[in-house]
Amino acid sequence: MNYPVWQLDIGGGVLMAVVSVLHVFVSHFAIGGGLWLVVTEARARARGDVGMLDFVRRHSRFFILLTLVFGAITGVGIWFVAGLISPAAINTLIRTFLWGWAIEWVFFVIEIAAALVYWYGWDRLSARAHLAVGWIYFGAAFMSLAVINGIVTFMLTPGGWLENREFWTGFFNPTYWPSLAIRGCAAVALAGLFTLLTAAFLDDAPLRRRMVRHNALWVLAGTVLAAGASYWYRSAFPGWDEALLGAIPVLPTVASVLRWTTAAVIALALWPLIAPGRWHAGSALVLLAIALAAFGAGEWVREAGRKPYVIHGYLYSNGVRIGSQEAALAADGVARHTKWIHPARRDGAEPAALGSDLYRAWCAQCHTMDRYNGLRPFLAYRNAVEIADLLPHLGDMRALMPPWHGDRRDDAALSAYLAAEGATCDAAWPEDPVRAGGLAWDLSCGLCHTADRFRPLRESLAGMEREELSEMLDALDDYSDRMPAYTAGDAERRRLLDHLQGLAGTGATAERSTR
Amino acid sequence: MNPIVPSPDPLPLPAPAPLIALLLHLTLLVHFLFMNGLLGGAALIVLSRWRSRGPGDHHARLAREVSRLLPTLFAGTVTFGVAPLLFMQALYGHFFYTSSIAIARPWFAVIPLLLLAYYGAYLNAMRGAGRDRGGRPGLARTLAAPAVLLLTAAIAFIYTNNLSLMLRPDRWTTAILADPGGGGWNLGEPTLWPRYLHMILGAIAVGGMLLAVWGRSRRDDPDFADFARRHGTAVFGWATAANVMVGLWLLFALKREVMLLMMGGSRPATILFGIGFLLALAVIAEAIRMRMSPKPRSPVLLASLTVILTAAMVMLRDVVRGGYLAPWHRPEAFAVRPQTLNMALFALLLIAGLALVIRMILALARGRSA
Repeated sequence: MNYPVWQLDIGGGVLMAVVSVLHVFVSHFAIGGGLWLVVTEARARARGDVGMLDFVRRHSRFFILLTLVFGAITGVGIWFVAGLISPAAINTLIRTFLWGWAIEWVFFVIEIAAALVYWYGWDRLSARAHLAVGWIYFGAAFMSLAVINGIVTFMLTPGGWLENREFWTGFFNPTYWPSLAIRGCAAVALAGLFTLLTAAFLDDAPLRRRMVRHNALWVLAGTVLAAGASYWYRSAFPGWDEALLGAIPVLPTVASVLRWTTAAVIALALWPLIAPGRWHAGSALVLLAIALAAFGAGEWVREAGRKPYVIHGYLYSNGVRIGSQEAALAADGVARHTKWIHPARRDGAEPAALGSDLYRAWCAQCHTMDRYNGLRPFLAYRNAVEIADLLPHLGDMRALMPPWHGDRRDDAALSAYLAAEGATCDAAWPEDPVRAGGLAWDLSCGLCHTADRFRPLRESLAGMEREELSEMLDALDDYSDRMPAYTAGDAERRRLLDHLQGLAGTGATAERSTR
Repeated sequence: MNPIVPSPDPLPLPAPAPLIALLLHLTLLVHFLFMNGLLGGAALIVLSRWRSRGPGDHHARLAREVSRLLPTLFAGTVTFGVAPLLFMQALYGHFFYTSSIAIARPWFAVIPLLLLAYYGAYLNAMRGAGRDRGGRPGLARTLAAPAVLLLTAAIAFIYTNNLSLMLRPDRWTTAILADPGGGGWNLGEPTLWPRYLHMILGAIAVGGMLLAVWGRSRRDDPDFADFARRHGTAVFGWATAANVMVGLWLLFALKREVMLLMMGGSRPATILFGIGFLLALAVIAEAIRMRMSPKPRSPVLLASLTVILTAAMVMLRDVVRGGYLAPWHRPEAFAVRPQTLNMALFALLLIAGLALVIRMILALARGRSA
């Protein structure tokens, strides 16, 4: 509302996900890899193992090229994307944690300088000085993580900061320590993962076997400990159980991906441990790809868990602050407080034109029409009246969207625009009655309920006959202010009733599993 | 159309605005010096490769040796670019985010361009990489330095677009409402081209100055050191002389009220402008003296004056920004709730951190000479 919204075809969230997942993958390697370098160098020197020392040296070049360039630039990329897609949030974070970021920058300077001195110092520094620089690198890299972790976790669990607005209260928030534990262990695992790749290229077979086994231990130790720390993290995660029940539709699937990919990393890492001689670059790349998927899922869980906020309990993902700003919207409607509306459209004389600007200001931050969180597939089964009826209930939906505070004129404008963009109610329905019933459920009850888990309906529907279910649909808006009236046409209503009968156990057709 | 300007965040600043501005200027100065070394260094490499008559001549050696410095200059540019970006957002975030969104597509493109340029700098610096079987540089290696130059110049152009658009809220509404996809270049801005050229010529000049300083360290080969001094000061002198002209173009392209600030409208701004102008003339004179002198002259005076001149330019830049944004914004008007402990912690860590970095670099330098 305060800032313009960058309308990006693939969705700003997708861009942020790509940049940030790639960054955290490499930046965690930058930390764990730093520890690996100095520990393995010390070990090689202590044993007088020239081959191992030479491998450490060659690996450090790969390390520098990946972390100093790709890691650092994608880190800047996160700044860029955050400013483009969540300017209100980044502005709030900078006001709150300016000195945290400034301190993190000091560690970043030390980290970069130490990395360069470490690399250029292989032939110029004594063994002792070289190892000392390696430890300085690792210490600075870890401290950089320790600082940024406070800001990242703050967004999910600001804790007491919501009351006192104190830096350190927000910094050492409820998920700070478990998150640091997970990230620290993941960094160790990544050190092993990347060195499993570089070790696969070693020509000296006995050395390759030794290094592969050595690195596999890093992967296993890091991954198992990170998985253990995730249970600690969950206990501090706000609404974890509810989210897994389906409050956030995508979360159970993503959490499942996280579990399976983590398990796959552990299982696959046993191979280089047991049969290091058979390890090769292809298998290392597969392992890295699975680990990247696990990282992506982990970051997605954290991001999704914040919904509908970008700073939990303080700032919604659409940039509205809870409190006076939300109250003003509730009192005056949204158009009046939306800055980026074309002046000629503000009077609402052309509702769809005003709606276009409202869509851009309020919806386009998280939705696209056809791709990420695409609206058109949903709109194709709805008309403008139904959309307008649904808008006041957005804040109750399972997807955990910020509440919409539009007045009648705002609702009319936005629904007119969405109707023009595809809410034509003319989409084809599946031939299969079971799938058609499931779709009718997804378009109505399923927006806020699941059958068995989150806000479950099966139990309350049990035994109801078709006529009772039909009467229930007619009276939905009498049940609660939060329930919209059911206004779908006859054909869709029949499909939904088929599905509800399946849930109630009184129908002829089997129930389709609901998303 | 009336300009739309977002409201600043209601949370108080965690430090007085002048302190944040000071840190912004200091870190920006260091960033500029590294960035100038990088861009100017890339230009010198391309120039020397073009003028080289064979692998044994001074130009070839200069290109080789400056190539090895480029990745470190890149690391310094990026590392010291983060801090001013942070401090600038604390003071001017609501302007910066809006102009960034208006120019979002090219602005985001900075990231892949940086990646390409950075890896190009490493490719250009590697001794054995990118050579064919006969030991001659391959196509990728040959193109690496021009690519680094073009890519960094393109990044500078995008920066100039965004940071000049940031000062023009009157252009935002049309740009953003007309193209919400973020393609709003600021090409209609009268200061755009002189501002960009001023930056590029400044970078080439500082690159020349750094060459003169660096050549001084090549005492093992007085002939080459003398060549580096003469070549560096020539590049510096010509680029700075051209930049004085471009600077005057920039001055007259500024909005009248802003230009007049430096023409007596504001005493500090006028004094600063006067100092900057005189320093520019002084460094040109010193560059000529260094080039003409039959005996090697120490580059310390030239380097010191150049750093002071760059600092003056950083401050003049702030005067211009303040002048353009004056109708909408004064950072001093923000509420402040100082985080004193955190400021002290930052200062302590900064001093200790810089001392540690210097210690490591000195150890490396001692190792080199040993």
